[in-house]
Amino acid sequence: MSIAAQTDSCPRQPIVTGTSVLALKYKDGVMMAADNLASYGSLARFKDIQRLHPVGKYTVIGAGGDMSDFQYIQKFLEQLIIEEFTSQDGHDLGPAQIHEYLSQVMYSRRSKINPLWNSLLVGGFKDGKSFLSYVDLLGTTYSATTLATGFGAYLAQPILRKEVEGRENELTEEEAIRIMESCMKVLYYRDARSLDKYQLAVITADGVKISESRHLSTTWSFAEGIRGYGAQTQ
Amino acid sequence: MFRNTYDSDNTVFSPQGRLHQVEYALEAVKQGSAAVGLKSKTHAVLLALKRSTGELASYQQKMFRIDDHAGIAIAGLTSDARVLSNFMRQQAMSSKMLFNRAIPVNRLVSAIADKAQVNTQEYGRRPYGVGFLVIGYDESGSHLYEFSPSGNSYEYFAMSIGARSQSAKTYLEKHYEEFADASLEDLIRHGLHALRETLQQDKELNVNNTSIGLIGPRSEHEKKGVQPEGAFRILENEAIEPFLKTMVAKEDPPAPAPAASSSGPAASGSGDVQMSG
Amino acid sequence: MTSIGTGYDLSASTYSPDGRIFQVEYATKAVENSGTAIGLKVKDGVVLAVEKLIHSKLSVPEANRRIQTIDRHIGLATAGLLADGRHIANRARDEASSYRDTYDAPSPLKNLAERLGLYTQAYTLYSSVRPFGISTILGAFDKEGPSLYVIEPSGVYFGYNGAAVGKGRQLAKTELEKLKLSELTTKEAVYEAARIIYLVHEDAKEKEFELEISWIGQETDNVHLPVPRELQQDAEAKAKAALETFE
Repeated sequence: MSIAAQTDSCPRQPIVTGTSVLALKYKDGVMMAADNLASYGSLARFKDIQRLHPVGKYTVIGAGGDMSDFQYIQKFLEQLIIEEFTSQDGHDLGPAQIHEYLSQVMYSRRSKINPLWNSLLVGGFKDGKSFLSYVDLLGTTYSATTLATGFGAYLAQPILRKEVEGRENELTEEEAIRIMESCMKVLYYRDARSLDKYQLAVITADGVKISESRHLSTTWSFAEGIRGYGAQTQ
Repeated sequence: MFRNTYDSDNTVFSPQGRLHQVEYALEAVKQGSAAVGLKSKTHAVLLALKRSTGELASYQQKMFRIDDHAGIAIAGLTSDARVLSNFMRQQAMSSKMLFNRAIPVNRLVSAIADKAQVNTQEYGRRPYGVGFLVIGYDESGSHLYEFSPSGNSYEYFAMSIGARSQSAKTYLEKHYEEFADASLEDLIRHGLHALRETLQQDKELNVNNTSIGLIGPRSEHEKKGVQPEGAFRILENEAIEPFLKTMVAKEDPPAPAPAASSSGPAASGSGDVQMSG
Repeated sequence: MTSIGTGYDLSASTYSPDGRIFQVEYATKAVENSGTAIGLKVKDGVVLAVEKLIHSKLSVPEANRRIQTIDRHIGLATAGLLADGRHIANRARDEASSYRDTYDAPSPLKNLAERLGLYTQAYTLYSSVRPFGISTILGAFDKEGPSLYVIEPSGVYFGYNGAAVGKGRQLAKTELEKLKLSELTTKEAVYEAARIIYLVHEDAKEKEFELEISWIGQETDNVHLPVPRELQQDAEAKAKAALETFE
């Protein structure tokens, strides 16, 4: 098949989308956050979507971008984990291996000009070591102690860096939750594709825990003074 | 010509439920010169006896590196071994490429065992005519496996394959309980002693006919430059001299027997079979 | 009629004049030469156990497993040619995985048994292949609850409450029939399975063996896992004690 024919049939935009994912390293492991919204264009279409997904015993992936592509990714990773489990030989895939595999899939799909339209964070904890890395629809990867995708890369990342960098081994879970909460709040105020309902994932030596949905309390009284908002007539 | 009605084809069961072609393939392994493998908690070692077809010929290669963390010694058809070891290398590379993970050694062995099984079940193929000893080091420690043409693979503390390997096995069975905590030097010495048992009457191990493959931290007898994690390496020629020197002479050299050969039909000269390694 | 020397027993694609396929019968002989494997379907789960004959004292204990895992909720034990057992297990994993791909749900064991039965049967049709020299016990905990099937070299498969294949299957079946399987818990079944394997091994006492035992059920969150070491050791100790008082 020619490249032209392939590009004709491949998606050129995501349809139902999720927005930012945030993650940071702290004393006990890795924490990740993402809200529960899946948008259809500018419509807030689904408000109960989980965008943090456990993969095996040591890893969580968080996704922004096309939600159906993300569901597909969840499915093939599930098959991978089952394959690994059925070997029953004491070997299993950690976050680093899952990230490597994901980046191979993402890069090969983009090279076929048929990308899986996501930016993903892979966080985990195995053998006493934290892992946090990024991969996106182009197959681009990078690692840092704080990461953010989507609008979060502009709005939350500076805050995360300021709060976390250099303090990765001191931050407690409570502090990490507080930092995440404040970042999610900034995103909810300024990202029109975000929601005030979100979940936190923590990956530590105890394994993976994904929280129930949490609510952000925000105040919007200042909005009355903003031109073009609410009941103003002019 | 055939020994019985049921042995001309690998897709035929004998009335006893045996597969004669597979059993004959196992004989092909015994035509090759011996290889010995053993492991401690920290190291895994292979030792093999190389043959040459004559004064002017070089010695047949008996060991192959698969990856930094795995290597094999072979007995039987060298050409079959090349095909299978090539496949093992591909598996190892693919694991590195896809997962950035050194392939677990048991999966490497299972992969060729599963391949070999197909050749015992389908018409128009023959079972592989080679056996492997595979050593490796992974997250679960050091390992030694035997692979055979029947498609079976087993994990061992110590094992030998090839011509007269039973004698080496007898030695290993007597000493294997010492291996787990043995130093690398002791482990290799045990291996050499076991390998020595497979020699014909008038032969002995020397720098030309012996190969040593190992995984694990460097020995005092090895030259510097071994990677700190102790990747798989093959020692040959003068490099094995210091190890040969550690051998203890046999207590009771058996009385020289008549030079009647006992290594089977192809025992003329160096007892080699052209295709066998 | 006798099979040997007639020429009717050299291919899976040949019938004898009285309508038998000798190659399939010979394949079952390969099963009979192997250590016994049993399966128990009980109230809240399934237990699989195998008499693993040790052919060399150099082999590493607990490695070289004969019970395999097919999917989270499915276990498989074979008797017969070991390499054929791995082949069928790989095929079973592919089938289970393909079911998940299609339906996004774990495969019911009934479905998997049928697929593997068809696959096994295909190897009895052609002269270009030989039948599988194995009998396969499949155990699972699926949406219907605990489930147990056996597939023979001919490709036939049946569901069972208690199953035994391999050399000691007759004695094992007799022992299984004495049990009230539907009233046992999975944990109790572990003890019974260990006892039966130790009992059938009495006939091949000169050979060393290792008990391999796994379970699926409420105890394991419906996941197929090896029985925990302490439980297995206790079950083996009780099995040895029972042997002394037997008869």
